Amino acid sequence: MTLLSATLAEPQHFSLFEKLLFAGLAIASGCGFWRRFGKILDKILQSKKDPSFHLFPIGKRIGDFVWEVLFQAKVIRERPLPGLAHAFVFWAFCTFVLVTLNHCAVVLGLGFLNPAGQFARFYFYFAAAFALTCAAGILGLFVRRFLVRPKWLGEKLSYQSGVIALLIFVLMATYLASFFVSDATPAARALWWLHTLALLAFLPLIPHTKHLHLVLSPATVFLSRGTFSQIPPLSGDEDFGLVAGTDLTQLVSLQAWSCVECGRCTEHCPAANTGKLLNPKEIVLGLRGYLNEYGPSSEQPLLGKYNAQEAVFQCTTCGACEFQCPVGIEHVPILVGLRRGAVNTGLWEDQHGAKLFLALERGSNALGLSPTDRDKFIQRMELPLFDGTQEYCLWLGCMGGYDPKGREIVLAFTRVMSYLGTSYGVLRKEKCTGDPVRRLGNDLLFQQLAEANLEALAQNKVKKIVSICPHCVRTIQEDWKEYSTPPEIEHHSEFLARYAHRLPKQASPNPTSPETIVFHDPCYLGRYRNVYDEPRTVAALAGELVEAPRSRERSFCCGAGGGLAFLGEETGERVSHNRAQELAATGAQTIAAACPFCNTMFRDALAATGEGVPQLMDIAQLAARGLPQSGSS
Amino acid sequence: MKIVVAIKQVPERDAQVRIDAAGKWIEESDLQYALNESDAYALEEALQLKEKHSGEVIVVSAGPERVGTTIREALAKGADRAIHIGCDDLGARDALGVARLLAAAIKPENPDLVLTGLQSEDLGLGQTGVIVAELLGLPHATLILHVERTETGVTVKRELEEGWFQTIELPTPAVLTIQSGGNKLRYATLMGIKRAKTKEVRRLTAAELAVDAAPVVLLEQVTLPQKQKSTQILPGTAKEAAAALVEKLKFEVRVL
Amino acid sequence: MSGILVVVEQRAGRIGRISWEAVAAGQRLGAQLGLPVSAAIVGSQTESLASEIATRPLSKVVRVEHPLLAQYTADGFALALQQFIQAEQPDYIVFPHTYQVRDYAPALAARLGQVLIGDVVAVGDGPVFTRQLLQGRLNGNYRPTGSGPCFVSVQAGAFRAEPLEENAAAAQATTPATITTFTPTLDPAQIRARPSEPYRGSSQTVDLGSAQLIVGVGRGIKDAESIPMVEELATALGAELAASRPICDNGWLPMERQVGSSGQTVSPKLYLAVGISGAIQHLVGMKGSQCVVAINKDPDAPIFEIADYGIVGDLFEVVPALTAAVKAAKQ
Repeated sequence: MTLLSATLAEPQHFSLFEKLLFAGLAIASGCGFWRRFGKILDKILQSKKDPSFHLFPIGKRIGDFVWEVLFQAKVIRERPLPGLAHAFVFWAFCTFVLVTLNHCAVVLGLGFLNPAGQFARFYFYFAAAFALTCAAGILGLFVRRFLVRPKWLGEKLSYQSGVIALLIFVLMATYLASFFVSDATPAARALWWLHTLALLAFLPLIPHTKHLHLVLSPATVFLSRGTFSQIPPLSGDEDFGLVAGTDLTQLVSLQAWSCVECGRCTEHCPAANTGKLLNPKEIVLGLRGYLNEYGPSSEQPLLGKYNAQEAVFQCTTCGACEFQCPVGIEHVPILVGLRRGAVNTGLWEDQHGAKLFLALERGSNALGLSPTDRDKFIQRMELPLFDGTQEYCLWLGCMGGYDPKGREIVLAFTRVMSYLGTSYGVLRKEKCTGDPVRRLGNDLLFQQLAEANLEALAQNKVKKIVSICPHCVRTIQEDWKEYSTPPEIEHHSEFLARYAHRLPKQASPNPTSPETIVFHDPCYLGRYRNVYDEPRTVAALAGELVEAPRSRERSFCCGAGGGLAFLGEETGERVSHNRAQELAATGAQTIAAACPFCNTMFRDALAATGEGVPQLMDIAQLAARGLPQSGSS
Repeated sequence: MKIVVAIKQVPERDAQVRIDAAGKWIEESDLQYALNESDAYALEEALQLKEKHSGEVIVVSAGPERVGTTIREALAKGADRAIHIGCDDLGARDALGVARLLAAAIKPENPDLVLTGLQSEDLGLGQTGVIVAELLGLPHATLILHVERTETGVTVKRELEEGWFQTIELPTPAVLTIQSGGNKLRYATLMGIKRAKTKEVRRLTAAELAVDAAPVVLLEQVTLPQKQKSTQILPGTAKEAAAALVEKLKFEVRVL
Repeated sequence: MSGILVVVEQRAGRIGRISWEAVAAGQRLGAQLGLPVSAAIVGSQTESLASEIATRPLSKVVRVEHPLLAQYTADGFALALQQFIQAEQPDYIVFPHTYQVRDYAPALAARLGQVLIGDVVAVGDGPVFTRQLLQGRLNGNYRPTGSGPCFVSVQAGAFRAEPLEENAAAAQATTPATITTFTPTLDPAQIRARPSEPYRGSSQTVDLGSAQLIVGVGRGIKDAESIPMVEELATALGAELAASRPICDNGWLPMERQVGSSGQTVSPKLYLAVGISGAIQHLVGMKGSQCVVAINKDPDAPIFEIADYGIVGDLFEVVPALTAAVKAAKQ
């Protein structure tokens, strides 16, 4: 028999005993599946509803589903080789739906795909191709997990993964082998039964292992919150965030059970990479463990047996975890939710955190400085005040208003704006946008700050804002929406990029070796806002760009986000040092930043490194450098 | 333990200081207000005592309508109920006059302890607590950093000058004025604010309390100090500048 | 008898400078109003202290003497002085503004239907007493309105004791003031508080938070070998040594001496910043200082923006010069 003429062998006659055996096993398998899956589904459905969840607009959901689930795009893009292997396994599963239905129908005499028929022949070959790639894929993944053993999959060997891999391999192998036997042979029957047993063993294993994601993750991806790192509003007077099981919503429960334990989140986490307790994968699995033991109606604290408060407060909210997750788990809202639970109820006792909160309770800025400092800066530098006639309101923010380096960035940017003839003004009074307290979970303070600021902006008739700080931009544009519609806001890199063609391109002092610049993508500009090219356009005015190993959506956090810039000493290696070393190791002469927090973190880190370090400049300063008659500050 | 904490709402620190038309106080129209800092420490000490020994913490404050915000903040931080002595002319009363109002409101409560902050951020007299003790006929101690309950009353840690301390035993009821920095302050939480909505705030008026208000000491005028806070760069050689600095440290800063 | 009564305070058997300043203030007031000035010292076995006071130009010195006054208590001192004031009927009673006075004088004044005008920095015609409001950002003029004794306490350093000392030699040539004794009636049951002996705060842990004087050292110091030079200045001033983060990161000073956003927050009377540029992480830790002095060779260093006094110069020259000058001044 040649390969092309081979057809899939299907045993023709099954005895009554076989039929009954099959039925019995199938029912047992189905019950095994449902007993566990039903319980999980129950718990998910019993969880609190997500009040801010909207199914519509559905276009993006469908798009994400097609791209991430059907095309496995994120799975492949972020870890190409293993991702492709997994994609083949997944596509094989999809292809095998028809095959499996037919396979089971055959024993009952109800087979609907006649192997000799044209469609079936084509389809079975089609499926065979996927079976081949799937078998190869699963073999490769097995080798990776059990022989290569990458760190991110965890220390312990996962025997359930081994078993599942084996079953999948058997399924594919038996299918392929069926091409090489004839219908009526004992071999065909044996293969049929082997395939069936593997199938029926597989089914109940699904809800008992992380392979539950087979069922859940398409739904998880489809039902995501909508925006990256979207923090849901609190609902009602008794909602303080994620305190106990009763606070876990259906989305969070669904996500907790969807975790594939692939470890991509942890692989990219700045805290996990610098020896801290926080491990994003363990956070999600911790919730799963909680739900398994206590369920969604429990009053047991979420931060207790399964997750530690210390870990939760080591998160910089950089979003790398959420960005990487192939099954649609949204880590940042979970972590912020857990923080809310601790902060809104006063359970979080942290010296520096309390100091930050008290400073913002009484004052206007996160640094606890007198607002007259900012007034003096505005007066001394003769910055125009916003009076409703200018095009932009220039939002200084806490760093731009009070930090000496932040002020330099502001002044450089104003020089460029003046050069471009753009009218702008600064507000007489600003309060902190509330970004650090928002990420730390203090909703009381955040509401106070957001509402006060929104009122001031409305009173001043502000229509457009430009800011040097990605945190301010994000908070104003997204987080303030909870209270009322904020004015339009953009980051200064977006503004500068739009006018880059009008800004002088700087000639290098030495044309054969131009100044090399490495741009660090801020988390809140890159992953949060999808802005990667604009700041590079601006930096390119000043020199030649080189890329850091971890750049763009893989950019490694500077360590300041999530309110951590205001908290005390870190344990383990400093995140900022890790990143600064990486940037310095590119050999670039200049590190370009686009966030005053990144700037301040790297300044300290580079100072600790010693002599011969790259200079650190904001893209506004790089742009301003090329302006006529621009002196150094 | 039943603890009364007398708190004051003061203009926020670093507020712009402009003298009002009458020249007797600062322009209040643009001001933000906050809880007086050492009163926050007094409240914190009271809350910690309540958490340890169970009981009730009652805050008392005198002043106009706006004082309500500060009272609610104290309730949000954990006080059980409050008394607001409505008084629109607090500035016209001297320390004795204010203490009379407070003492009259506190007396019927019969507390075990009365805590006040050491001094206010606006007038900085540091006397109200001591005078309240005198009016209530209670023993008192000032500059207290730490309070512990004993069988006979309380044992307190008092701050003395130049890094010295002292322990004092007092019988209760007693009045203590609390120094800043003895504890870590707690922050206001969402849960606290929500719970505060249902807590009682009893309104009394100054008139109701019928105390003698005529001041024996009058603040008749306020002026801005001549010295504006700008950096004085001391010129000259190292030796000359050092000598000039020592002069300043001796006579202006008064630390030598 | 009318006149000015100055209440002198003793601590550990010595009369502090602030009491001499109170005497000087009392004499200023006396000269202004044409009233005689006397002094009182409260305690037990105060003969030698009284003799010391009596060398000043005063009409008399009174020892308010009772065994129960050997240790300070608010009840004891208030009762004793109440009786004395009721006997003597002074017009003005001047105190040094010390922790002790703040503890009993308001109660004493209230008992006599008066209010203490505390922490006075100047005396004007009237008399009108000036004190600082809003943490030094405003001055207020207070006038006593009632009849009855007026209680005033004076701020340390507001009235110089030095001119007094200059005259002390001259004064000693004249006859010393008469010393009398007043024995109040006191019952142990009236003294409700039981104070312990004063004790020093623990010296092992560095408590920058309560330090009154701090010298902060920053990256301008360049290396660990130069730290002792700054330490000497701190010792001369009687100040605690603190540092900005890079110094502690390098291990040149322990982490507990770090002042800044990830270290301690301090609010001393004097913060002397040596070689500190003034980065925000450090500023937020010491912005509460009442007086900031900065020494830095960079005239544009941000620290100068918040400093009250600054020296633009090489710290390796300025610090030793300053140490010498401080030592000389303290002799």
